[in-house]
Amino acid sequence: MIKISNLTFRYKDGRKNALDNINLSINKGDFLGITGTSGAGKTSLTYAINGVIPHHYNGDYYGSVRIEGEDTFDTSPSALSLKIGSVFQDIDTQLVSSVVEDEILYGLENFSVPAVEIEQRISSALEAVGISSLRYRSIESLSGGQKQKVALAAILALRPKILLLDEPTSELDPESSVQFYRILRELNENHGITIIVVEQKIMLLSEFAKNILVMDTGKIVINGSVREVIDRSSLLEEIGINCPRVTSLSNRLKEEGVYTGSVCINVEEAEKMVRSIIDD
Amino acid sequence: MIRLQNVCFNYDRDRTLTDISFHINKGEFAAIIGANGAGKSTLCRLLNGLLKPSSGSVEINGLDTGHTKSSVLARQIGFLFQNPDRQICRNTVAEEILFGLELLYKDREFIAERLEKVLSMFGFSAEDNPFNLSRGERQRLALASLIAVEPEILILDEPTTGLDYKECIEIMEIVREMNKKGTTVIMVCHDMEVVLDYAERVLVLSGGKLIADGETRSVFCMNDVLEQASLIPPQMASLAGRLGSGFEDVFTVEEMTELILEKSNEKRRVEV
Repeated sequence: MIKISNLTFRYKDGRKNALDNINLSINKGDFLGITGTSGAGKTSLTYAINGVIPHHYNGDYYGSVRIEGEDTFDTSPSALSLKIGSVFQDIDTQLVSSVVEDEILYGLENFSVPAVEIEQRISSALEAVGISSLRYRSIESLSGGQKQKVALAAILALRPKILLLDEPTSELDPESSVQFYRILRELNENHGITIIVVEQKIMLLSEFAKNILVMDTGKIVINGSVREVIDRSSLLEEIGINCPRVTSLSNRLKEEGVYTGSVCINVEEAEKMVRSIIDD
Repeated sequence: MIRLQNVCFNYDRDRTLTDISFHINKGEFAAIIGANGAGKSTLCRLLNGLLKPSSGSVEINGLDTGHTKSSVLARQIGFLFQNPDRQICRNTVAEEILFGLELLYKDREFIAERLEKVLSMFGFSAEDNPFNLSRGERQRLALASLIAVEPEILILDEPTTGLDYKECIEIMEIVREMNKKGTTVIMVCHDMEVVLDYAERVLVLSGGKLIADGETRSVFCMNDVLEQASLIPPQMASLAGRLGSGFEDVFTVEEMTELILEKSNEKRRVEV
């Protein structure tokens, strides 16, 4: 679905490559989490996927990004946005209307969605994200978390095949973050939407993503299933990525020689591990 | 030092905070936690005088914020916004740090010394353009500008949002150092692991009400409070809760490892 080949990009006046020889294939239906430290190139990679690079940022561009066979270099971002819905990191830069309903309508009208479809699209997008009750609320009165959901609903109404999200839970409380990821999982599993999400909280990725991509200094360092990536926790910590504390616990118990199984990625697995050590 | 008495606050007709009362002593490190929309940021803005209570009173070192100019309060309180871009307004790192210093002090030598001290403490280059820095670096710059004026009270609204783990630790260690030197710290934070690692006291807001106020570990044991506030406890506390009896008061990987090893040794002894 997405194929990135030998992609290197350096922003105009940039001192180093923001993306350095990236090769990546993302299949239809994947739920890919992208993580890494600040400045690792995560946001630049999302820009390369939705065409913001090279169409809005000047710089040295080598290689190619193809979305369903179309080279993003030769395709306008507006054409790409028919396939890829993007939710930005700074939500206030994305929302343009003063009322929730208008925000969703804005994209639909711009994409010339027939009037007869509009009501159904608005209500189903609001329902999918669980914010039907906010439909007539002023956006200014919403919390950061509610705004994130409005942005997601506005994108969902356009029915993209791919959802590209840059740190969507950065302003959400833990419970809202989990709820947000449950919505993403539902969209992925039941609606077949391919999810690509940049996320610092690896605990969320370990619970919800199918695959994780770890970036450092513009390069892909690890790319694999959640367990394959978490298994390399010492490398992750070396890069500066905080592993779930249950992973640190299982590593410590391995070092102490009381546990020989695989690393834990969630509390359920950690409970089983501890019981296997201490129970009769 | 900080005293809130029966504080209520309304945005238009919506009641955001209801009957909040608490007292924070000099040198405390307190975290305000709660779900999105619980009123945490509003409470922060009441503490630094950006907002005035609709009823009740907020006192900072005996000054009622309702009758005190923000500029007077700013001498005592440093406020770190969630988004550093709402704080940074100058074209170089040095100018940004000097902004607050020059507003509050006149002695050129003193100002130059403070600038040098903060630049070296944070490892910044004086002439760097703040807007070419990463989000984490901009957050550090915003904090550096606050610390330069050495406020008695630091109020941090989500100081680690958008930062990677290394940057988060860097920021929090600086805050901890300030606290050790006597600065009172009040921090809004969604990361319960950070709250557990750094704050000694936690105030829990839910629906605009203060529903718990106590020592951090005690509050993280109050499952009903956490549930009411839609909060997820730190991972080791969740694990300890699932393991049940014998795992009370376990909050860190170190404590959990030690207890498991102890129990494992006991089991071996019994087997022998």
